[in-house]
Amino acid sequence: MFCWCFPGVSLVCILVSIAGKNVMLDCGMHMGYNDDRRFPDFSYITQNGRLTDFLDCVIISHFHLDHCGALPYFSEMVGYDGPIYMTHPTKAICPILLEDYRKITVDKKGETNFFTSQMIKDCMKKVVAVHLHQTVQVDEELEIKAYYAGHVLGAAMFQIRVGCESVVYTVTAWIDKCRPDLLITESTYATTIRDSKRCRERDFLKKVHETVERGGKVLIPVFALGRAQELCILLETFWERMNLKAPIYFSTGLTEKANHYYKLFITWTNQKIRKTFVQRNMFEFKHIKAFDRAFADNPGPMVVFATPGMLHAGQSLQIFRKWAGNEKNMVIMPGYCVQGTVGHKILSGQRKLEMEGRQILEVKMQVEYMSFSAHADAKGIMQLIRQAEPRNVLLVHGEAKKMEFLKQKIEQEFNVSCFMPANGETTTILTNPCIPVDISLGLLKRETAIGPAPDAKKPKLMHGSLLMKDNSFRLVSPEQALKELGLAEHQLRFTCRVHIQDPRKEHETGLRVYNHLKGAIQWWLHPPAGADVVQLEQGSWRRCSFL
Amino acid sequence: MCDPQSRFVARARRRFAMTRECAALLPGVCAALADPRQPGLDDTCLEKLLDWFRSLTWFDPTVELVQDNPCLPELITSVLALPDPSPGILSFTLQLAGILASSESRFQHLQEEKLLGRLFGQEGPRGGAAWEEASVRSAWLKGVHSMLHHQPALPFLCSTGAMDVIFTLQGDPSLFVASAASQLLVHMLTFSLESETSKALSAKDCDWPVCAQMIVKHIQESLQSSSASHIEQSLKLLSSLFGSCFGSCYAAWTEVLWLDIAKQIESFLLEETVQAQPVLANLLLNVARSPVFCGTEGSFWALVTSALEHLTPVQAGPLAVGLLKLCKCPQDVRIQALTVLLQPMDCILRAASQPLECAGLLDESVSDPVAVESLLSSKTSCAGLLCQTLAHLEKLLSLKHLKVDLPCVSLLRSLMTILQFCNGFLSPTSPLGSTISRNLINCFRVQKSALDVLAALSEKKDCDTLIGSLFDVLLAYLQSPNSSPTVLKKTFQATSKWLVHLQELSSSNSQQQQTEKILEGVFLVLQKRLCSPCWEVRDSSLEFLTAMVKCLRDQKEFRQCLLSSEVLRLTENLLEDPESYVRASAVIAVGHLTLITCFAPESPATGSQYNKESIVAKLQEILSTDSEGFPRRAVISIFTKWLREGCTGRLEDTEQFVSRAIQTVEHDLDWEVRLGGLELVEVFCSQTICQLAQCPYAPVSSAVTSSTPQKELLQVFCRAKLFGFLFGSLCDCDKPVGQRACDVLVGLRGHFYPMSTLENPQEVEDSPAGRGIAWLQRTLRQGSLAQNFPTDGGDGVDFQDPESMMLALGAIDLLELHDELNKSSDHVEESPQSLLQDILATVGTIEDNEVDCY
Repeated sequence: MFCWCFPGVSLVCILVSIAGKNVMLDCGMHMGYNDDRRFPDFSYITQNGRLTDFLDCVIISHFHLDHCGALPYFSEMVGYDGPIYMTHPTKAICPILLEDYRKITVDKKGETNFFTSQMIKDCMKKVVAVHLHQTVQVDEELEIKAYYAGHVLGAAMFQIRVGCESVVYTVTAWIDKCRPDLLITESTYATTIRDSKRCRERDFLKKVHETVERGGKVLIPVFALGRAQELCILLETFWERMNLKAPIYFSTGLTEKANHYYKLFITWTNQKIRKTFVQRNMFEFKHIKAFDRAFADNPGPMVVFATPGMLHAGQSLQIFRKWAGNEKNMVIMPGYCVQGTVGHKILSGQRKLEMEGRQILEVKMQVEYMSFSAHADAKGIMQLIRQAEPRNVLLVHGEAKKMEFLKQKIEQEFNVSCFMPANGETTTILTNPCIPVDISLGLLKRETAIGPAPDAKKPKLMHGSLLMKDNSFRLVSPEQALKELGLAEHQLRFTCRVHIQDPRKEHETGLRVYNHLKGAIQWWLHPPAGADVVQLEQGSWRRCSFL
Repeated sequence: MCDPQSRFVARARRRFAMTRECAALLPGVCAALADPRQPGLDDTCLEKLLDWFRSLTWFDPTVELVQDNPCLPELITSVLALPDPSPGILSFTLQLAGILASSESRFQHLQEEKLLGRLFGQEGPRGGAAWEEASVRSAWLKGVHSMLHHQPALPFLCSTGAMDVIFTLQGDPSLFVASAASQLLVHMLTFSLESETSKALSAKDCDWPVCAQMIVKHIQESLQSSSASHIEQSLKLLSSLFGSCFGSCYAAWTEVLWLDIAKQIESFLLEETVQAQPVLANLLLNVARSPVFCGTEGSFWALVTSALEHLTPVQAGPLAVGLLKLCKCPQDVRIQALTVLLQPMDCILRAASQPLECAGLLDESVSDPVAVESLLSSKTSCAGLLCQTLAHLEKLLSLKHLKVDLPCVSLLRSLMTILQFCNGFLSPTSPLGSTISRNLINCFRVQKSALDVLAALSEKKDCDTLIGSLFDVLLAYLQSPNSSPTVLKKTFQATSKWLVHLQELSSSNSQQQQTEKILEGVFLVLQKRLCSPCWEVRDSSLEFLTAMVKCLRDQKEFRQCLLSSEVLRLTENLLEDPESYVRASAVIAVGHLTLITCFAPESPATGSQYNKESIVAKLQEILSTDSEGFPRRAVISIFTKWLREGCTGRLEDTEQFVSRAIQTVEHDLDWEVRLGGLELVEVFCSQTICQLAQCPYAPVSSAVTSSTPQKELLQVFCRAKLFGFLFGSLCDCDKPVGQRACDVLVGLRGHFYPMSTLENPQEVEDSPAGRGIAWLQRTLRQGSLAQNFPTDGGDGVDFQDPESMMLALGAIDLLELHDELNKSSDHVEESPQSLLQDILATVGTIEDNEVDCY
């Protein structure tokens, strides 16, 4: 089994070769670059031949862009034309995020070498959506199966199986006991033990509430879908409970679609949302209204969700400019911002920003960072390994130093091999494939009759001839093998001549050698046929055929 | 005036220059980078910093960069002094040193400071623990590669044992490192030849430069070694070498090198002692591309011929298609290459034919046909071989100047046979045929590849006799419930291409009947597919319908079949599809269908449901109410198309039509819809100018507001409420909208004012005639990006007053605005100063920020 990847914090793209099948796990993009480096260099996958011929399938674990952002580029620009698998919610949500990012990229940078809307659609039309626990037969040998992962809506861990070899790929901390040959897990928070999500949520609500209470405005830059919905639900419930009146706006224009999908895939959301959904439809917001550009100038407190999430273009940046000068206001950044964006600048503490036209924007508003990422932390990863009991672990999507620490911990605690391949490095994992063999009934009966009665607790050694035909193995009796193959039994006799210098008479010498050998070896020994010849016979030597 | 290229270079030089501000920030950044207590920086920042240094050194090769910024060599010294530098910072330093040493003067400077030896020589990291990190090894190679741009770098590397390190790294476990090592060797060899004066050469007695000599010796030794991996590395290196500018620019050296290794290559090929056939095929192809061998007879081509015979069909395929793409290649080799590619197709035809038929595609084969037969007989290799062959054939069909004739008719027959095998419509009696058909049944991969080739083949002539049976196959696929959405999409694409071909043929009566029959079948199946529960299929069906309308709308038979089918009604229903992609495709399809049903001069009466007013109203409704961007974008693009095609009626009607559309899109949340609105305005303006102005393209000599056509034009534009939309868009929060609006306004101004006034806009005092224009001028001058224009009502500017608008066009410096908008926010985001500030600010902030998703 081979595995190599383009890991790093910023994108995930892993190639697994398992029993001759090549599977690509995730196809992420690096949001920090706006040149070729944003996509994995797919030319490394194969130098000879087409990618479509080389890869048996592509599997996408969830809709985050660092896991799926390069997919339209891969399928529509690089030319991969084979099967792509993801869950139904991921297939529904992926194009929204890809479209969102495309628009920002094209808007911001005037990019031309980027996929178009049509390419995103064409790519999505090639995707085969899978259900949880559905075994998908990619071809006669390769099968994949998705399990609930809970990282984000629609996220799944995938088990890939060829014969008796299997790999599990997961981005979350929850898994069945499936004892795979290899468990591939992301390790973003490899050395961190994070606050509980509930704590972070409480903190978020407290900050929003305090700002609104003192008459300030809160800006929450988000991407169209994903975290935005989670935060909307939080605020909606809180507003309801506290009977707050300050308006909450959602500016993306995609609310309806996003909510539609959350409603559609309610069974995929977390238990809390599911439970509340029974009493009330969580996605029919009472307090959250659509945003209009004119509202930004309204007096009084308000909360606005606006895109894009990194504050580098569009409405979120426009609102930020208007509100930045007032210390009563607050901006809450719920996600990662790449270098060069306004989001990155304010998070790194810069308070005087040079905008277009050399204007200086003084940021007096409060700046908060809150991570709601659902990646597994160190504790989660250890728990995951304990549950899954893999034979090998491979860490991806993390920083080398932190991964090294975790690797040592895993090896010590679980006594399994742990790998953390560098960029482009191939990891080879030896597996012990068990090959099923059919046994003929005749042979089974005959062998059972010999020796002690069968004991269920002890393995029994069977003797027979192994026939390999049409990719199947059968153990049959030698006679049957000969019959099936149309072969006659041959007997081979091995002889060798030994010269012995002995002053005695030939006959005496022969007899002495015979007696000596008779005592020393158990084989059948022919009495001396002639004066100087001793014959040893091991029995008949049968020819076995392996075809 | 400078040429555009010089202007571009000058702009880039300014953009990446070491400004005073950058020079002031740099020491702080260097100090932070060298400080081991600081947490590691985001890799992206370090990469971007290196990008900047690369541009900086590219534009300025002088030593001043390191002399004026001593913090740079100090950074290198500090990192070298660290007992255990992090791999990240060590990698950065290696690359930085390489970049700085890329010019001879700076190289000498760094040598004097004794820094290069400590980084790239034996005392450098290559012996230490850090070398275990692939990122350090990769950075070392990149550093050496950057350095190799001047002669003194070569002896430095050769004398410090760097060559052996590079040779070893060719076999590195990291693919990226191994590949970088190989690329570096190619660069070194070529560069060493470049820098030496050319020497007289003969095949036996040649005098390679020292560095090249080392590389060539290494290649020779590796090829003779017993290690398969060494042989493969060398073959790959040779392949890259012949494929680089070495093969194309150094003919004499190429020949010498080839003669040196040819025997060895031949033995690898014929004796099959190493399992590196794909690399060998690639190597031969790259040598064949070199001008040294192209088109000549001789031992090289004999070896190529022999390779085509000896390699397996899968290995020989890429070589064959590469040879066929060559401009110069012996014709017999070409024919042989084509034969290799056609063999599987030939085998398919033979396997499908009756015993007595002579149905093959080839008269003779190159290699043993048994090899192809056995590959096609095996379930695992059959699909692989066919997919590869089909991909190659598709590539050949796309070539404009293929120098061999493709047997298109037989190829088409073979393709049809494959497709029939795949859907189980053909069960041949021959044992091979039945095995292949069993192997191919329901094989989507082969179906997709075959349909791609089928579509490409539609461009070729001579296939007319088979057209009836071809459409039988295509219709069977379109009807089959087993066809997957992706296969259906490709079938639709192939069908639309062949329908165009069919249209070209249908001149005689019998052909017309055949066309009608085929079209009836197509529309029947299209009706069914438009109702598919799978959105992908509905969408592909609509795209197919649009493609057909685009190509066949003038064909009588097509129009008849379309109007007598249910397709119009079904398409209209799909305007309300739950899937937005489908709604958008339905809008486009309806928009195109309207060109036949409503806007064509001989528009037939198609029933009440498909009249012009109702369609326009429906699309207008989608534009104002659809919750998603795709359908709204589709509507505005269709409106623009209608306008372009002159379908919107008289000027007054068009004016109302445009006015309604722009008032709807003005506040759209999707900037691409607003952009579409501006395109509509642009088309409307140019058409109206053409209609009303007497001589549309003649420049106006002076401000001609008094002339009647100009006045009328302004009135039309004001009535249509164009100016409010255009000036408002200048302040749009999405940059492309502002840019486009500015383009349109510049165009309008060019029409109403002489070009000379563009660069000297008038200063405006507030007067009753142009109330608010001074405010507008000031607001826009402050930077359109103040972006508070639309929300405060324009401070009393009357955008519907022709006089005010005439004044606004003359007063506002649109060219300056245009420049400002075109700068985009990249000016801030990508400037080196911003990067340095970000790095300085990031140092010491919370680490957690870096590790969230998105």
